[in-house]
Amino acid sequence: MARRISFLLNGELVEMEVEDHWTLLHLLREELGLTGTKEGCGSGECGACTVLVDGMAVNSCLFLAADLDGKEVLTIEGLAAPDGTLHPLQRAFIENGAIQCGFCTPGMILSAKALLDENPNPTEEEIRHALAGNLCRCTGYLQIFRAVADAARRISQEPIEVFPRRTD
Amino acid sequence: MEWIGRSIPRIGAQTRARGKALFGGDVPLEGPLILKLLRSPRPHARILSINTERAMKNDGVEAIFTAKDIPGRNLIGLITKDQPLLAHDKVRFVGEPVALVAARDEESAIRGVEEVEVVYEDLPAIFTPDEALDPGAVPIHEKGNLLHRRVVVKGDVEDALSRAHLVVERTYSTPFLEHACLEPDAGWGYVDKDGTLVIVASTQNPHYDQREVAELLGVEKERVRVIQAATGGGFGSKLDLTVQGFIGLALYHLRRPVKLTLSREEVFLATPKRHAMKIWMRTAARRDGRLLALEAKIICDTGAYSSYGVAVATRAAVHATGPYEIENVRVESLAVYTNNPIAGAMRGFGVPQVAFAHESQMDILAESLGIDPLEIRRINAMRPESVTATGQVLGESVGLLEALDAVEPHYREAMEEWKKGPRRPYTARGVGLGAMWYGIGNTGVRNPSTVKVQLDERGRVVLYIGAADMGQGSTTVLVQMASETLGISPEEMEVVIADTGLTPDAGASSASRQTYISGNALVRACRKLSETLLEEASRLMGLPRGELVLRGGNVVSKEKPERRVSLAELAALAKERGVSLEFEGHFDPETTPLDPSTGQGIPYATYSFACQMAQVEVDLLTGQVEVRRIVAAHDVGKAINPKGVVGQIRGGVAMGVGFALMEEFLPGSTRSFKDYHIPTAADMPEVIPIIVESSEPTGPFGAKGVGEPALIPTAPAILNAIADALGERIYALPATLERVCEASIRAGWPKMGKGGGPR
Repeated sequence: MARRISFLLNGELVEMEVEDHWTLLHLLREELGLTGTKEGCGSGECGACTVLVDGMAVNSCLFLAADLDGKEVLTIEGLAAPDGTLHPLQRAFIENGAIQCGFCTPGMILSAKALLDENPNPTEEEIRHALAGNLCRCTGYLQIFRAVADAARRISQEPIEVFPRRTD
Repeated sequence: MEWIGRSIPRIGAQTRARGKALFGGDVPLEGPLILKLLRSPRPHARILSINTERAMKNDGVEAIFTAKDIPGRNLIGLITKDQPLLAHDKVRFVGEPVALVAARDEESAIRGVEEVEVVYEDLPAIFTPDEALDPGAVPIHEKGNLLHRRVVVKGDVEDALSRAHLVVERTYSTPFLEHACLEPDAGWGYVDKDGTLVIVASTQNPHYDQREVAELLGVEKERVRVIQAATGGGFGSKLDLTVQGFIGLALYHLRRPVKLTLSREEVFLATPKRHAMKIWMRTAARRDGRLLALEAKIICDTGAYSSYGVAVATRAAVHATGPYEIENVRVESLAVYTNNPIAGAMRGFGVPQVAFAHESQMDILAESLGIDPLEIRRINAMRPESVTATGQVLGESVGLLEALDAVEPHYREAMEEWKKGPRRPYTARGVGLGAMWYGIGNTGVRNPSTVKVQLDERGRVVLYIGAADMGQGSTTVLVQMASETLGISPEEMEVVIADTGLTPDAGASSASRQTYISGNALVRACRKLSETLLEEASRLMGLPRGELVLRGGNVVSKEKPERRVSLAELAALAKERGVSLEFEGHFDPETTPLDPSTGQGIPYATYSFACQMAQVEVDLLTGQVEVRRIVAAHDVGKAINPKGVVGQIRGGVAMGVGFALMEEFLPGSTRSFKDYHIPTAADMPEVIPIIVESSEPTGPFGAKGVGEPALIPTAPAILNAIADALGERIYALPATLERVCEASIRAGWPKMGKGGGPR
């Protein structure tokens, strides 16, 4: 069975037919060509396919595409600003050596984003807990914790823009 | 030095952070055919017939290939060619590929696989080396069940045993392990305009892949081009052919784009494992702690096919003494075929297993002799000019004593304060050490690398490096070496990596060899280029060559820095004069083969050394072990990129924690991450990395290697810490809850008044 759904994908409205048995991971990778989201196990055990649905980190390999109707999805491709400027998490991952092979990175960064959106100033314990569903075999995780803490600091120090701009 | 010793960010990190790096499964082609494999459900059986008729009737199925469709030699293997790409007369393990289906879509491919009919006749299956070595055992291969026997003998063991004050004899066992790269093996391919079969795959070994696929297809090697995709971890499992041969076979027959991505279950079933080992060890010492003799018998379960089995058995034998000078040695190491999954290379090539044994022996000796564990290691530690078990006299880069010194203050603090500190009831604390040595590069065989560098017509430096980077960071350190040699920044260079169509053969990214071997090759190539550039500039500027240096993309006069000529100008001039600005550098470490009957020889040009300390807290009631802290001191010669070294150390420690406490691949039942636990973010201890730099005179800028050494001491240190906590030792890995509980009960815990009782 196919059905028509509409959803926001990285800020853009998408309307399309999806098959009932498609997972969100299949939809992203195979139908929409967004290969930044990775499949590590296909059964919700490794976290490599993590994306954000309405701000919540989900394993896209277990999430049915049809359930996306009316929702908002953020994948790694949508994280940097439209002009290409990296998100503070992306910058912090690069600069803190949190990326080795990079296969777990998209899922790891999105899990970290879900954490920071909810808890802008997490303790290391909270970071460990939030990332415990994302496996990494290369780094030993510690640089990742550091990167997340570093990104939290950068985000909190970002200037808040006020409109209309004052001209003093 | 400007670029050596600097932690520049990993090259390629940004494309990965953006999700733009194309891994083996990220196919940028429209509508490739989907490949899927039919795998054997039997561990050992004769194939009586294969019928593909029904499967071919599926609409979406385009083709089905079996062994008879392989036009060349249907035999593969990294050292010993004993494995068919597709089984022909019999199957030897569960998961062995039997037929390859190419279909227009996933569903058709799955249906095609399901409908291929194979008739098997079961043969007796063998699951342990002991059964396999029984004289009456069914031969798994025609030549029998013993793949390889390696002996290392030196001195007079009998005499040493008779003189010894103490002899310790124990048997250790370690299980099969899964590499558990986050990326399942994957690749894709197409036929180029000129008819070349192009295979883009997740791999550690592109030039080997190319040779092997060409042999399978019976074509010239130039007709096959292998390009490394972004590779999501390797750890040894992507040294063998995994998807490349199947992609090549389909391209050969179909001439259409194809892709093959293994499922996680297939990766568990069918890609190589770490060898399960049984290690018997007898160590003899004098009363003062000096080691007199080591005897060992190592039995490696190499599974159904050889892969790197010969190398693993050999390396285990060579390293069995540990990083200690022992005059009398007798080691025998066997690699034995069984009907278990193939065992091949995994980070450390057999050394992590023997390190668990020799480091346990050291602590048992220390305790029996009343010597401090750190002291007994220091007494016996290899140092410059020590003689190894193979009779090799070590050079000057032996940083083990420095590593022990670096760990010592942490060790004393942990023993004297942390261990006695307040803790939860029914827990015990322990501190343990693990030391290791590791020979860089392949064992006693040629393993050269060639790197090419070019100054192109636009004045841009282009590096052609065949070394696959699967996350360990070889590209970054090699580029830093080029920057240092040529005086230009990494951003100003172009780099072509691991593409058999463009890059010379650098050999496999294995054996912690690329920094040392390809590093040397690259520096040689870059020096040739810089020599020529200085010569050309000297002619152009009318200044003596000795007065010129390469700096910031120019040749500059040392005395009058305002006198300079840019690389672009030199490139144009060279073109005019017909001078080539393309150079190759070559390096092959100086080794000699091991004597087949004694194992004597010079297997490696240099060795890395390390010592780690583990602090653990053991729950005496549940058997749960928490690793609180690892201090890891590694002699890497020279850290080209210190942050990269630290990344290797932390990642190695994580893998070591898994090896020590949780990882065990059970043939026949392990199929997913539900059955096979690797450390998560919640399992990581604090890690204090310490870089020791005992410069290697033959290394590029003094560098050796760290990729595998990072993992090796961790499990021994943790197991020694558990023994320290409990007063009882565990001889089989992993130290599961059951094994820890059992040891805890053996030790009489929980008991009152010994620190274990309620407080």
